[in-house]
Amino acid sequence: MSRILYGALAALLLHVTPTVELVKHVDAVKQMFPAADAWFERELHLSGRDAHKLHEAMDWSPEDGVLRFYTGKHGGAAVGALVFVRVDTPHGPLEVAVGFANDGAVASVVVTKATVETKPWVLTALRAGLCDHYKGMRAGTVPQAAEQIRDAAGELPTYMATQIDKGVRRALTVYADFYK
Amino acid sequence: MLYDLRHADARLKWLVTCLLATFGLAYCFGAWMVGRYAGFGPKQVAATYAGPPMHMAMPPDTTVVVEHPLTMGQMAAEDHHVVDIDLLVQDTHVHVPMYGVIAALLSLVVLGLSLPRSAGFALITLLFAAPWLDFAGMWLVKLVSPAFAIVTVAGGWAMGLGYTIVTIIAVGQMWFGRKGAA
Repeated sequence: MSRILYGALAALLLHVTPTVELVKHVDAVKQMFPAADAWFERELHLSGRDAHKLHEAMDWSPEDGVLRFYTGKHGGAAVGALVFVRVDTPHGPLEVAVGFANDGAVASVVVTKATVETKPWVLTALRAGLCDHYKGMRAGTVPQAAEQIRDAAGELPTYMATQIDKGVRRALTVYADFYK
Repeated sequence: MLYDLRHADARLKWLVTCLLATFGLAYCFGAWMVGRYAGFGPKQVAATYAGPPMHMAMPPDTTVVVEHPLTMGQMAAEDHHVVDIDLLVQDTHVHVPMYGVIAALLSLVVLGLSLPRSAGFALITLLFAAPWLDFAGMWLVKLVSPAFAIVTVAGGWAMGLGYTIVTIIAVGQMWFGRKGAA
């Protein structure tokens, strides 16, 4: 109950604007791996130790301590996997879908949720080619795509891009550490 | 009472008619929006406002992996629009004052109708109670139990009912009624 009250208070003080769905999960999945003809959801209920390790590394914990990966297959063979990662920004939540090829490199990134306030900044960052900079990244890389678009996109879109960087970094870490 | 829409100037009758038509249009789009994002039944309303159940279980000793096939239909169902507490605060902040203004304007129309005093009181109460029920239901679903979705559904239908009653009586009395003594 206290969590709810703090949430309400925070929303009143920060005046967080409503969440906007930029791309539906289904559409993101189809867009990232169009060749897949079957999908599997892999849920990882993290142990206290693993959850603590992840929190130490990323200063982040997945919702309810559960990581969800979606594996796409074609004719029974895996074509890739993706994970949706939420980033809580001071302007409200952001959600990023990060798709991985079978070799573990980032295949594509799609921003699926933003807020009424942040949507225009996110769209500007995306138009500046933000997501192209993530392709091919592997575990251990610290994404800095935001810096690549600073000149073209401006201050606030670059700020949102740093948040997207954060989401991609989390995805890289959980994919490398937990997707087996 | 001097204010009687049956005997009012045609310009005032036209104003009231335009107001009711505008509200009617807004309600139609409101219903469309509700159909798209929440639904008209208690089950869908509960799913929209209650959100996913909270998992209070202790973490397992070792990380547990569960894998199962997923269809696109199941994934689409997981995409169901959910109003979290932040959005509900925002919705309440924006909608409640506007609903109050709408109820007040419809109540002003009620005051100009030829109705028994008790019917006037009942209609005005219905007009204000409907949005109260609507939002009370949403908050009760969020904070207490999904079973309270029925309150939101009742509030929504009460809003439509109040508007329909006022519109039918007002249009009937203003444009089709016999002009008796005021």
